[in-house]
Amino acid sequence: MYRSLVILCACACLYAQAPSDPQAIFKQAIEAQKNGRLEEAAGLYQQLVKSYPNIPELRSNLGATLAAEGNYAEAIRQYQSALKLKADPQVRLNLALAYYKSADISSAIGELKQVRSAAPGNVQAALLLADCDLRLGRNAEVVALLTPLQRADPDNRAYIYLLGTALIRNGDSAQGQLMIDRILKNGDSAEARLLMGTTKFMVSDFSGALADLQKAVELNPKLPDLYSYYGQALLLTGDQAGARRAFEQELSMDPNNFDSNLRMGVLLKQDQENERALAYLQHALQIRPGDFGVRYQIATIELANGNLQHAQQELEEILAESPQFLEAHVSLATVYFREKRKADGERERALVAKLNAARQATNEVAAKPVQ
Amino acid sequence: MTAVVFALLASLPAAAFGPALRECANCHPAQAKPHPASAMAQALEPASSGALLQSHRSLAFKSGAFSYRIERHGNESIYTVTDGGQTISTPLLWSFGAGSLGQTYVYSWGGQLYQSRVSFYRALDGLDFTMGARNSNPKDLTEAAGLRMSKDDQVQCFSCHATHAAQGRNPDLLHMTPGVQCERCHGETGNHLAGLQSGNAAQAHLNSLHSLSTEGQSNFCGGCHRTWDQIASSPGLGVLNVRFQPYRLTNSKCYDVDDRRIACTACHDPHQPLSHDAAAYDRQCQACHAGGKPSAHACKVAATGCSGCHMPKVEVPDAHHSFTDHQIRIVRANAPYPE
Repeated sequence: MYRSLVILCACACLYAQAPSDPQAIFKQAIEAQKNGRLEEAAGLYQQLVKSYPNIPELRSNLGATLAAEGNYAEAIRQYQSALKLKADPQVRLNLALAYYKSADISSAIGELKQVRSAAPGNVQAALLLADCDLRLGRNAEVVALLTPLQRADPDNRAYIYLLGTALIRNGDSAQGQLMIDRILKNGDSAEARLLMGTTKFMVSDFSGALADLQKAVELNPKLPDLYSYYGQALLLTGDQAGARRAFEQELSMDPNNFDSNLRMGVLLKQDQENERALAYLQHALQIRPGDFGVRYQIATIELANGNLQHAQQELEEILAESPQFLEAHVSLATVYFREKRKADGERERALVAKLNAARQATNEVAAKPVQ
Repeated sequence: MTAVVFALLASLPAAAFGPALRECANCHPAQAKPHPASAMAQALEPASSGALLQSHRSLAFKSGAFSYRIERHGNESIYTVTDGGQTISTPLLWSFGAGSLGQTYVYSWGGQLYQSRVSFYRALDGLDFTMGARNSNPKDLTEAAGLRMSKDDQVQCFSCHATHAAQGRNPDLLHMTPGVQCERCHGETGNHLAGLQSGNAAQAHLNSLHSLSTEGQSNFCGGCHRTWDQIASSPGLGVLNVRFQPYRLTNSKCYDVDDRRIACTACHDPHQPLSHDAAAYDRQCQACHAGGKPSAHACKVAATGCSGCHMPKVEVPDAHHSFTDHQIRIVRANAPYPE
C-alpha cells in the first residue's frame, strides 16, 4: 500500500494547480489513514477521486481505506476501477483479499490466478489461493498448486501445512503424514495436531481426532480452522453444546469459515431456531455458491416453516443438478404430500426406493467373496 | 447440579410418578382402563419398582475382561461392572421397555446418565449386550459399563418412553411420568377439562389420532417409531430397519397416504396391549383385498393368516427377537430383505 502512496505523491504533483490543493488533501488523507482515522481518510480520498478520477493509485488507496473500514463492496469497486486504469498485481491481490473477506471466494480465486500469472513468485498470492481452494473443498487443486512450490521451498512451513491439509482432506493420508512428520521435526505444534486430528477425522476415528484437536487448542487456539474441526469432532462424539461453542469460537475469528457456518446452521435448525439457522446457512452459501448441502438445509428450513413453494422449488432445482441426492428426494416427497400432490409424492418415494435398492445391490455385490 | 438432580430422582418413591389416568378414565373408560397393561404405558419404569427386576433378583453376564451383575438389594437393583481390578457399582434408575422383549437400563455415574452396555432379553431370560454395543471397544471401565447419554440422547430416549420428559430441547426428568400416557399423544388435558366444564368446545378440543390422515398418523407415530423420511434418508441399516414400522409400512405397495384402511390405528389400538390374534389382522387386510378396493387383488393362496406370509418375521441380530416386517408384500423365496 505504501508503495502506492509514494507513487501517488508523485502523481499528485501533476495536479498542484488544482484549486483545492490536492497535495495538502492527499497528505491529510495519508496521515488519517496511518492513524486509523479511516472515515476521515476515505472522505479525503473520495474528494480527490472526484477531481482526479483517472489516477489509479488514488482509487487503490481509497479501496484500501474502505476495506480497512469493512466496506468491502465499495472497496472492490474502487480496486476494479484502479485496475481498469492500470494493471497492478499488488492492487489485484488487494482486490482478491477484499473478495475473500466478503466471502466471495470464487471471485477471489479468479483474481489470484491473474496475480499468479503476472507475478508467479508472489508467495502471498499462492498461499491465499491455496486457502481459497481449501475453503471451497478443492483439495486436489491445492495439492497441484503447492506440490511444486513446496519442493522448491521445502522449509516453508506455510506450504507444508497447507499442502498437508489438502493431502489429508483429499484422502492421501500417507503423503499427508509426510507433511505432519516435517512439521513435527520442530516439535509438537498446533498445526501438527490439527493435521493429525484431521487425518483421524477422515477415517471416522472421532474420539482419536478429538484428543489431537483438544491438544491443538491448548497449543494455539487461534489457528485457523482448528475450532471448526474441533467442533465437528465434539459433535460426532455427542457433545452438541461444546460443538456449538467451538463453531462460535471459529466464527468469531473467521466469519467466513464454511464448515462452521454450515454446522451452526444445522445445529440451530435442530433447535428449531430457524431464523438464526438461515442466517448462517445463507452466509455459507455466499462462501460456496450453489453448494448442494447448504441449499438442501435451507430447503428443509423452508419446509419446516411451511413455505412449501420455496422448499419445492429449491429441492427441484437441487435434484435437476444432482438427481442422486437421496435426502432431497425424501424431502421433496414430503413437500409434495403436504401440497396434496399425491402422485408426485409417490413418484419421489419410488425414486428413493430405487436409489436405495441400487445402493443395496451394489453393497451386496461388493460384499460377495471373490471366487 | 446434575448430580443433585439424579440423586433426587433416585430417592423419589415410585408413587411420585404414578399415572394421572383416573380423570381420563372417568369419561374414556374404554381407552383408559386397558391402557396400563399396554407396552406403551410400560415403556419406562423406575428400576426400584419394575416387576422384571423384582422377579430377576440376580442377573450376570461376562464378556472378555468385564463382568456384569444386576442384583436386587431391598428396593434397589445394583448394577456392578468390574474388570477384576476396578469396579463400578451403582443403583439402576430406569428400566426402558416393558420387558416383553427386553429391557435396557439407565443409571447415573459421576453426575452423568448412562445407558447400560448390557440389557435383559426375554428370549434368553438373561443379559446380553445392548443392541449396538457388541462391537464397541471400551477403553476403560466407564465405557465398558455403559454409554454416556448426552442431553439430546436423554430428550430423545425419555420423550418416547415417558410423558412430559422434556421442556423444549432440555430433559425434564423430575416432572415426567414414566410410560406413554394420555397426554403424551393427546396433549395437555388441563384446557380440555376446563373447556368441558365451561362448555367451551374449542377449548375442550384434544389431539386425536383419528383426526389425522394415514400419512399424518404415520408421521405422528413415527415420531418415536421413526418416520419414512428419517429412515429413507439414512440408508444402509439392513434388517435393523424392520423395527421402524412406519418406514416399512410406507414402503408397502398397498400403502396409500389417503386411505385410512392402511393407517397405523387401522390395525393397532395404542390403548390396548398388542394383539396377537392373526384373525383380527386378516379383517384389516380384507377390508381392501376382499373387494373393498378395486386395485387390491384377492390372495390366490389363502383367505386367512395374511400377515404370516405377507408380513414375515425378521430376526434382528442381537435383539434376540424376530420382528414383524410391516413392509407388506409378496415374499419371494430367497429374495433379499428389501431395505
